[in-house]
Amino acid sequence: MSVQTPERVAASPGTRGAAQERRDGVRAMAPMLVALVPFAVVVGTAVAQSDHRLAAWLGTSTIYGGAAHLAVLDLTSAGAGWVAAAAVGLLINMRLAAFATSLVPEWRSAPVGLRLAAGVMLTDIPWALSRDRRGQRQFYLGAALTLFVAWPVMVTAGMLLGGWLAQLAVTAILPALSLGALVAPRVRARPVAFAVSASAVAALATAGLAPGVALVICAVAGVAAAAVGGGRAS
Amino acid sequence: MNVLLAVLVVGTGSLLLRVVPLLFARRLPDRVAAYAEHAGVAVLAAIVVRAVVLHQNPDLPGAPLVALTATAAGLVVAYTGRSILLAIATGGLTYAAITAALTGSL
Repeated sequence: MSVQTPERVAASPGTRGAAQERRDGVRAMAPMLVALVPFAVVVGTAVAQSDHRLAAWLGTSTIYGGAAHLAVLDLTSAGAGWVAAAAVGLLINMRLAAFATSLVPEWRSAPVGLRLAAGVMLTDIPWALSRDRRGQRQFYLGAALTLFVAWPVMVTAGMLLGGWLAQLAVTAILPALSLGALVAPRVRARPVAFAVSASAVAALATAGLAPGVALVICAVAGVAAAAVGGGRAS
Repeated sequence: MNVLLAVLVVGTGSLLLRVVPLLFARRLPDRVAAYAEHAGVAVLAAIVVRAVVLHQNPDLPGAPLVALTATAAGLVVAYTGRSILLAIATGGLTYAAITAALTGSL
């Protein structure tokens, strides 16, 4: 039995057409956008309430992570200095380095421009979606580009339309639920089950800590548990 | 000015975090990528747990428990391989139903 590495899959002439892969990526992202609307409204409301709206809005595409963006806006509006706000924002976005590093085997052989584009548009949901379509670079690009275009539009709409939707408590769990729904089917794999279990325990233990620090601790716990209990790779 | 500086620093830093591993992809061993994969999954799981544990709803007693029930319902649907949208809808509707039953509003 031959081993299909991600690079072989990507280069395989038997794979479906690039355009079809991209369309699949767009289709896969569509329901996630629906789940992200409330979160985008929350971020948009925070942007609208900022003292420096334009600067705050710029973070939509540059920070490109709702949790880090919100933390930066919350801290600056509460009077914290830019150094403290930036430190917290960067800690929360540290996970992006792990996402990018995990993509390396599939993207190693891609042209540098394509790798750059993949990195610029990388965030939680495109990464999680691509884990079931390893080696299908165009699928990832389709999904990532959809969110990269839609997210600023959704946040801007949230700024303009007000926060009535964000006041519905149910909307607070939808973004996390959408991430969890992407991870749940993968728990059947032993290393993933170990990583998720250890991370969940760590998350409970660190719930009182700031999100950036807590997420780093959870990542370390997950990696250690996967290495000890489930082997090196999933 | 504080907002602008913070956004610029976090934006630039976040861009580097996303791009640098991919730009230096030829130098990164697969073993590191495998560990990073587990770190990514662990972080997503932690985000879900934190969202449940820290969930707040002033009108709803035991709001984290309601969030836990709703999230669990959605995740079970996802685990069985159903569509993501169905999983999210199940979680959201479960939350709305429990909230409506307990408080009479969403």
